[in-house]
Amino acid sequence: MEILGQLIVSGIAVGMIYGVIAFGYQLTFATSKTLNFGQGEALMLGSLVGWSLVAVTGYLLMLPIVLAFGLLQGAIVERLGVRQAIKTKSEAGWIMATIALGIIFRNLAENIWGRDALKFPSPLPEAPLSFAGINVLPMELAIVVGAIAMMVAVEVFNRRSIYGRAVVATAGDRDAAGLVGVNTSLVITFSYALSSLAAAFAGVLIAPVTLTGATMGGVLGLKGFAVAIIGGLSSGFGVVVGGLILGITENLTGFYLSTGYKDVPGLLLLLLVLSLKPSGLFGKAAIKKV
Amino acid sequence: MLANAFKTLALAALVVFPFAVSSPYYLHLLVVIMIYSVVTLGLDVVFGYTGEVSVGHAALFGIGAYTAGVLAFQLGIGFWWALPLGIVITAGFGALLALPALRVTGPYLAMVTLAFGTIVQILINEMTFLTEGPLGISLKRPVVFDWRPLADTLPFLKMSAKKMADVQFYYVVVIALVVTLVVISRLLASRYGRAFEALRDSPIACDCMGVSVYKHKVLAFVISAGFAGLGGVLFSYSELYIAPNNFGFDLSITFLLAVTMGGRKSRIGPIIGAAVVVFLPNLLADINMFRIAAGVVAVVAVAGGGIHMLRKPEQRARTAIPVALCLAFFVFAMFLERITDYKLTIFGMMILFVVFYLPNGIYGFLRAALPAGRTGGAVAGNEDAAWGTAAAASGGAALLQVDQILMQFGGLKALDRVDLSVRAGTVHGLIGPNGSGKSTMMNVLTGIYAPTAGGVKFLGQEVAGHTPSEIAGRGIARTFQNVQLFSELTLLENVMVGLQHSYSGSMADAALRTPRERREENAARDRAAGLLRFVGLDAVAHEEARNLPYGKQRLLEIARALALDPQLLLLDEPAAGLTAPDIQDLMRIIRKIRDHGITMVLIEHHMDVVMSVCDTVSVLDFGQKIAEGTPAVVQKDEKVLAAYLGGSHDTVAA
Amino acid sequence: MNLFRRSLLAAAAIATLGATQALPAQAADPIKVGLSGPFTGGSASMGVSMRDGVKLAVAEINKAGGVLGRPILLVERDDEARNELGVQIAQELINKEQVVATLGYINTGVALASQRFYQEAEIPVLNNVATGTIISHQFEAPKAEHNFVFRTSAPDIIQSAMIAEEAVVRQGFKAPAILADSSNYGQLGRKDLVAALDKRGVKPVAEEKFNVGDTDMTSQLLKVKQAGADVILTYAIGPELAQIANGMAKLGWKLPMIGSWTLSMATFIDNAGANGDGAMMPQTFIQLPTTPKRKAFIEAYQAAYKIDRIASPVSAAQGYDSVYLLAAAITQAGGTEGDKIRAALEDLNTKVEGVVTTYDRPFSATDHEAITSNIPVFGVVKGGRVVPAHPEDLEGDKALRVKTKG
Repeated sequence: MEILGQLIVSGIAVGMIYGVIAFGYQLTFATSKTLNFGQGEALMLGSLVGWSLVAVTGYLLMLPIVLAFGLLQGAIVERLGVRQAIKTKSEAGWIMATIALGIIFRNLAENIWGRDALKFPSPLPEAPLSFAGINVLPMELAIVVGAIAMMVAVEVFNRRSIYGRAVVATAGDRDAAGLVGVNTSLVITFSYALSSLAAAFAGVLIAPVTLTGATMGGVLGLKGFAVAIIGGLSSGFGVVVGGLILGITENLTGFYLSTGYKDVPGLLLLLLVLSLKPSGLFGKAAIKKV
Repeated sequence: MLANAFKTLALAALVVFPFAVSSPYYLHLLVVIMIYSVVTLGLDVVFGYTGEVSVGHAALFGIGAYTAGVLAFQLGIGFWWALPLGIVITAGFGALLALPALRVTGPYLAMVTLAFGTIVQILINEMTFLTEGPLGISLKRPVVFDWRPLADTLPFLKMSAKKMADVQFYYVVVIALVVTLVVISRLLASRYGRAFEALRDSPIACDCMGVSVYKHKVLAFVISAGFAGLGGVLFSYSELYIAPNNFGFDLSITFLLAVTMGGRKSRIGPIIGAAVVVFLPNLLADINMFRIAAGVVAVVAVAGGGIHMLRKPEQRARTAIPVALCLAFFVFAMFLERITDYKLTIFGMMILFVVFYLPNGIYGFLRAALPAGRTGGAVAGNEDAAWGTAAAASGGAALLQVDQILMQFGGLKALDRVDLSVRAGTVHGLIGPNGSGKSTMMNVLTGIYAPTAGGVKFLGQEVAGHTPSEIAGRGIARTFQNVQLFSELTLLENVMVGLQHSYSGSMADAALRTPRERREENAARDRAAGLLRFVGLDAVAHEEARNLPYGKQRLLEIARALALDPQLLLLDEPAAGLTAPDIQDLMRIIRKIRDHGITMVLIEHHMDVVMSVCDTVSVLDFGQKIAEGTPAVVQKDEKVLAAYLGGSHDTVAA
Repeated sequence: MNLFRRSLLAAAAIATLGATQALPAQAADPIKVGLSGPFTGGSASMGVSMRDGVKLAVAEINKAGGVLGRPILLVERDDEARNELGVQIAQELINKEQVVATLGYINTGVALASQRFYQEAEIPVLNNVATGTIISHQFEAPKAEHNFVFRTSAPDIIQSAMIAEEAVVRQGFKAPAILADSSNYGQLGRKDLVAALDKRGVKPVAEEKFNVGDTDMTSQLLKVKQAGADVILTYAIGPELAQIANGMAKLGWKLPMIGSWTLSMATFIDNAGANGDGAMMPQTFIQLPTTPKRKAFIEAYQAAYKIDRIASPVSAAQGYDSVYLLAAAITQAGGTEGDKIRAALEDLNTKVEGVVTTYDRPFSATDHEAITSNIPVFGVVKGGRVVPAHPEDLEGDKALRVKTKG
């Protein structure tokens, strides 16, 4: 029982990270029907920028700078990689462009921060807390709390602010939103900025637990993608649940089945979800318009 | 002519290459390029033609390679058996992936193929009993026949046993590439290729032409997988050592990049792309070579850009940017001192450049810079050939019977228990204000929506809830309110998509272009030309549909729908956006269609059209049928007048 | 305008490029030596340390007049730890660059995929970091007449035997658990480790895997814990090893870690911090000036690359030594023909004083391993550095350990 609890608790921490990255995918998909395939790299960059700053500024002061950096980085990705492709309605265009930008960011990071994994100093004590025999790092709790807080903050912002209404309008029908005076291309840029902000925040949240480094983004980006698809690209609630499902499944499989096949059930689940409900567990099916 | 000369020349160069260049390095490089070309050509079928992004092709490639590896290692079965088995087994895996995966599209499909790729890699790594796991499998290169005894008479055959095996394998790969080119070219020029392109441009119209989008997507994927498998088998015998980490996510991306860079929807593009991605690591390893290449690119860009500016001066500013970038890149190359550290950055920038400025890839750029290409042209169409063999329905009996149909979206009842009866041989008008449920009715009749309740009987058989392509197959054709043409196909090809049902040959016929295939293709071409003649578009039959004026696009839709040999034709606002003379034309065409015994349902806002061609008119408002009868009767109905004048239904009823 | 002038110079350079290449070979025609390793990506820290060690040795040799009066010219290629790229590079180095020998390989898979081409071309390869046992045996007689693959690193079979001995005999552990990554480095090592334990009559109580890039080891560690292990034996690389140490700390539980040489990677030591203290691993070289040669090497390396701690001292030292071994063989062969160099390597009659050891006839026709099991010593992580686990191993004349002749 203790073991099961421990597996689930660890799975939750990992799953929340997947969820935050998936959340970033959702933000851009809602406005532009495109995804940043370099989302993992946005996370990596945020984390490395944070790593450079944290020694100077301390953890809390570092956060706003990293978030601002995330905004900027996301805006750059949209301007350089996505805008043109949206204009020409080329599916392949934005996929290739965001992958290319991801490659460039990773290579630049290798040259700036080196090729090794780096230790990110933890702002919280590194001694585990123990509840009924289940151990959890204070930082893991911070991940869960921070991830939820960030998603709630973005959701509130989207619902309350005028920008948020523009997002909703753009998500509903880009052309119509444009006709009533919404600057849809600015909305899309901003959604990319927010998406990278989310990723950068995730980067500095998890780095104290997972280490940081130029190659940290790849696997996380793909896992986040899987979660976004499982949960549905249109459901904020879905990514949290999807993240938890994937995180916990991985841990349970690793323990009860075989650590060699740790990733397989999560992916099979994904295939199953998509073949039964193509819009994801919590996604809304779109009505075909003719 | 020029193209044929080029092909012959290229083939001749490939044949003499191993004797002209003695370095095994270049021989191997060329082999790898050709193997990647086989894969990218196959990938182009999915990625370029059907427009779906697969990031699982590395895994399919790996399955082909491991089929060869496992057969050789576990069973001692050599290359010649591995070749067909590799193709078949990989195609089988492709089907396994495609059947569930192709229900989804876009990023969802990308994820599914990604998941598949990851699972395959894990399985290869873990199933040590079969694949040797991470240790990998070593193979031996096959020798086709020992030609060294002939070296006395043919001195150019004199070479070491190793070199002979290399050269012979090289020829095997050349043959594989040529076969790939031929088969893919023929398939794509056949009805299958037209269907692949059509389903990307408008999946809904494709389904409504009786060409099942799902079936054809799966087919495209399986074909593509087969070629990935062929590439995989060749790869394992080219590298002679395979291990699970050969076939990761990065390789899938590389294949996609190759197709994008080289140019989609062409035969040469994927080959150029394969050459670029294979050669790139070498290029980016040697600073001198890199500088020379940057110089060549700059020269080509200046020349190409110059020609383009002369030809289209109005685009001068837009052309100048990429040219300037190429020049800047050259200067950058001269300044750069260490290349290894930044090679991935350079690689990424090259991809961005291609995406921005060469959206059709390198070959697309070259093709645009050179003259020729598809331009408009006429066909000699014979109108008598236009009409099919569908039995003309006799008047009187109900052809279509809609019974208490209910279509609900959330809380909204778009159709609220509507009955409709369409008699054979008549033109049945369906009118009503905007949002009254007319188009929803169309979509229910053609299977795009499955009704919430109620039934639709066509020729006495229930069709509600069937797929659009099934319903189309039973003889219901339609046009669309928002024109849904296959914009990158020519007019002739658009109509020929509707004629898919007239073929009886198999895919093998298409791939081999058998006499039967040619006969059927010619027959379809003649009929399509006749149909174009019927709607008056035969003079521009070879124009791409997207270049057609709006009014003519509507006529093309009618011709395409008629190709289906329908018994019932649904016309959704055919007169919208038409000029007055065009409308006269349209009415003439509608009457002529009726004369050929085809029943029609006509949704239209132009009352004069409705009044003059319809036998019966039904009026919908807020999802309910409020009136029915001859045009003259309906025209005077109070409820109808109220509905059109904007009064609400309730007030009229009260 | 500076930029303008430089652009002009650049244009001039391009123009003269063709000309310089056409010039006839000069008197001191350089000896081209290939260098293949991952300089980008996950195992780049080992690749770069190896490359820097190699370059240091080449610079020293060239400064002292080169080999046979000719300078050594390194042709560096980044194989990105990708098999197919390694193959392509091998072809390029052999056929296009026409190197006389190649040094390198960090990744066992890349070595296995690539070195067959050297074997076919009869050009020697000196593996200086990759440890997969099979590497040097891939083309042993009777598979080929002469084997062109040599190695200056400690193969897994030696390391795994040392690990088993240390764990079972010297420290008396009874229930070892193996944690290895799913790459072919980890899995081939795991196999050797199981065999080595079996020789000592011990069966591992758990064998767990993880992927390179995994950040959560909870399920693996809980399995180890449940199996009642008393020591963790590892075969993986730095970041994931750090995750194991940190994961144990998280579970509030600690077992001693003994594993392959990669436990000395900076990425393990730095990222595990205090959690990594006490981890033990076989080392051919520890960054300590225990011999004059080692002192000189460390100082030269620190000066050349302006660093204090070498990221992967073992890779740097083995890379450095591999150059001197090759140089000695070329000198002895009196030429650069591959088969002569191979013959000279198999019968090296000068002693080569290296950083790892002094090489006295390191290879023979049947033995292509320069390192025997007596050469590596156990290092232990202590306060962010690797120090000898058993200081007595490096005391006095034991500091320099020389290959035993079997």
